[in-house]
Amino acid sequence: MKIKDKLSTREEVTWCPGCPNFMILESVKKAISEMSDKGGYSLKDFVMTTDIGCHAKMFDYLNLSGVYCLHGRALPTAEGVCIGNPKMHVLAFVGDGAIYAEGIGHLPHAFRNNMNMTLVVHDNQSYSLTTGQSTPTSQQGFKTKVKPQGEENKPLNPILFALASGATFIARCNAKNINHTADVLMKAIAHKGFSFVEIVQDCLIFNLEMNNKDSRMYEVVDNRNLDVAFTLAKEFDYNSKRGRIPLGVLYQNRNAKTFAQKWPQIGKVVGKGGFYKGQVKGRK
Amino acid sequence: MEQNILIGGAAGQGINKASSIITDLFTEYGYYAFNYRDYQSLIRGGHNFNVISISDKPVNSSQKKYDFILALDKRTEKLHKGRLKKHGQIISFEKFKDERRNLNLFIAVEYLAKIGFPRKRVEKKLAKEFGEKIIVPVEGLYNKYHRKKELKSGGSKRKLLTGSKAIAIGAKMSGLQFYAGYPMTPSTGVLHELGGMQDDNLMVVQGESEIGCVSNVLGASFAGKISMTGTSGGGFDLMSESLSMQGQSGIPLCVYLASRPGPATGVPTYTAQADLDIALRAGHGEFPRFVVAPGDAQEAVKLANEALYLTYKHNTLGIILGDKHLAESGFSFNPEKIKFLKAKQNRDLPDKKIVKASSYEQNKFGNTTESARVVKKNFDARMKKYKILKKDIEKNFEGVKFYGRKESNNLVIGWGSTKGAIIDGMNGLDAKFMQVVYVKPLSRKIRKEMEKAKRIILIENNQTGQLGRLLREATGISIKDKNRILKYDGRPFCCDEVRGELKKGGVGEFTERMKRKGVKKVKRRSRR
Repeated sequence: MKIKDKLSTREEVTWCPGCPNFMILESVKKAISEMSDKGGYSLKDFVMTTDIGCHAKMFDYLNLSGVYCLHGRALPTAEGVCIGNPKMHVLAFVGDGAIYAEGIGHLPHAFRNNMNMTLVVHDNQSYSLTTGQSTPTSQQGFKTKVKPQGEENKPLNPILFALASGATFIARCNAKNINHTADVLMKAIAHKGFSFVEIVQDCLIFNLEMNNKDSRMYEVVDNRNLDVAFTLAKEFDYNSKRGRIPLGVLYQNRNAKTFAQKWPQIGKVVGKGGFYKGQVKGRK
Repeated sequence: MEQNILIGGAAGQGINKASSIITDLFTEYGYYAFNYRDYQSLIRGGHNFNVISISDKPVNSSQKKYDFILALDKRTEKLHKGRLKKHGQIISFEKFKDERRNLNLFIAVEYLAKIGFPRKRVEKKLAKEFGEKIIVPVEGLYNKYHRKKELKSGGSKRKLLTGSKAIAIGAKMSGLQFYAGYPMTPSTGVLHELGGMQDDNLMVVQGESEIGCVSNVLGASFAGKISMTGTSGGGFDLMSESLSMQGQSGIPLCVYLASRPGPATGVPTYTAQADLDIALRAGHGEFPRFVVAPGDAQEAVKLANEALYLTYKHNTLGIILGDKHLAESGFSFNPEKIKFLKAKQNRDLPDKKIVKASSYEQNKFGNTTESARVVKKNFDARMKKYKILKKDIEKNFEGVKFYGRKESNNLVIGWGSTKGAIIDGMNGLDAKFMQVVYVKPLSRKIRKEMEKAKRIILIENNQTGQLGRLLREATGISIKDKNRILKYDGRPFCCDEVRGELKKGGVGEFTERMKRKGVKKVKRRSRR
């Protein structure tokens, strides 16, 4: 059996027909199976944590070990798994409501900790499983049942937020472009440290206004320059209806110390080898 | 010898250092010592004091009145003078007015010289603490009292521990590998102690919030590490959602809850036993848990060990419930060898096979289900888990402990840090003390004892008698209002306070006549 088939479960998929989450699931499967095919990784090397929301149903459709967490807590739980077993690579799947509202207190610290894990944000700019309220990344004027007068605030720019917090890997993808997303995810997983992947996604039921941005998107060459990264981050402010949206690895810093390098115990607790082979400097 | 001394001054004057030198010296010299810390929520200035009780017999509480007052400032003298015993003395800062930085040590040594504590030991201790450079002229201070008879040794060396250190030791010896905490008095003690104990097998992380910490611990525990977190009431409230997550996911979780007076920030550096209710019930939904409440440091070592062991054995929620009085007071005892239980993972780990833990109800593959049949099945499984846990505790661990006169009809009930004051306070009285060690699940012995007793007295450091309420729920026996001794001013009980209240409540001295006649024949007017 192919690895990709092993990654599937028999659960009935309950996303709306045509939801871009199907494509994100496909890209995740593609990334993991390709990394496993290339060698060096096996299915047991991956753990996922998921938040609460539409995106989180990934938990039921991916045959990986994992924790289906409480709302907003997928990130700190993932960090706990990283500490508990640094040999495993943790993929934390979160939504924009989960990570930019309920769980944002954990986010800047995760950037600073720089643990070896990947945070995947399914950003459709609305709370969808709770029937269409506005999230911190929703555009100004988004009319909801709570705010019939329209969302009064300007959206948060997560890429800028990540840059300001000292993130070491920042990427943006388009959910509909499976090959590109899988490609970026592989780079994110291979990155030594905390990788932050923001996937721009449509919601077919709520917040239709922000859908179909594909024509404005373009792919950038992998960028390692911080100044360029700030420029790229400012190109799309999650609010405007015009202007270009850069995709790809917007910033990567390969020289930052990872959490395990800063904490010698973590290598010792787990024993040598695995992803941390040669990376952890022991005391003495 | 029995002495109760107070050392007071402004924060920053080194009151803790002085009292630790005195208590260390006495416990090394074979005496028992108990150190109570009373301090305000500030770093410099204000008024702080420690009360040290020294005795050649076990002592685990302080008294209301003092034999000595060691005053490092005017305020101490003024505030506490009224509580001096008849022949009590004040050692005042005025005598050492020129000594600014080492005033605390000068006063401590003056006290030791006054009571005739062996000089050599004092010199040795100071040299050990501060190096060879002489900062206090011990000989000079001692010369004034050279005719004084030297104090005799109290026996073999005793061990002195704070509750925080005891819990840290208990956890470390159980095989703790990961601890995450966010600073909050009085739980910070354990965070500090474990931080200092870090080695290749233990990692201690200061998280971004209590929610972050408890989530970290759930993650690490899921990945296979023996993990624990600790906090105080407010932080525990934040953690509540994750306690519930534990109940659903079955990832073992051990939480140390050090309570202090609420509501809200309350009086943050003082003590209360007001968080029993949240320890028992925090978290939405119905799921198993157990709660242990150590009463002193020696017990805290043992119970922290049992809590971690049981948490991982039964994949459940374990709560170690303490308070500021337990966490920060110094307790002395005879060191004994403890056989530590090793906490071991008792579940499949994700590096061996696919393991799914979830906040949703799960089907047999670990995926989300909404099926009525499966939901009920899962609920039943959780209840069954609790029954097994309860049986294990009833059979293998001490749920309640008894002190005092076993045959007495007067039953005193308490839990946690009031233990010391109760035992010391009812010394010589016709009373039996039942300490509830496992607050959940409750021991079966409790009902029998309560039914047998003619008078039941409840002692708690809270306003509403939370244990009393729990016991009424469990046994149907309610404790009369007049028999509930409750204190809720942020201060712990003193032993003489407990004694006075017990006597007022009708508990008499244990006399020779009673010994001859047997207690059963002595008539008691009221039931309970």
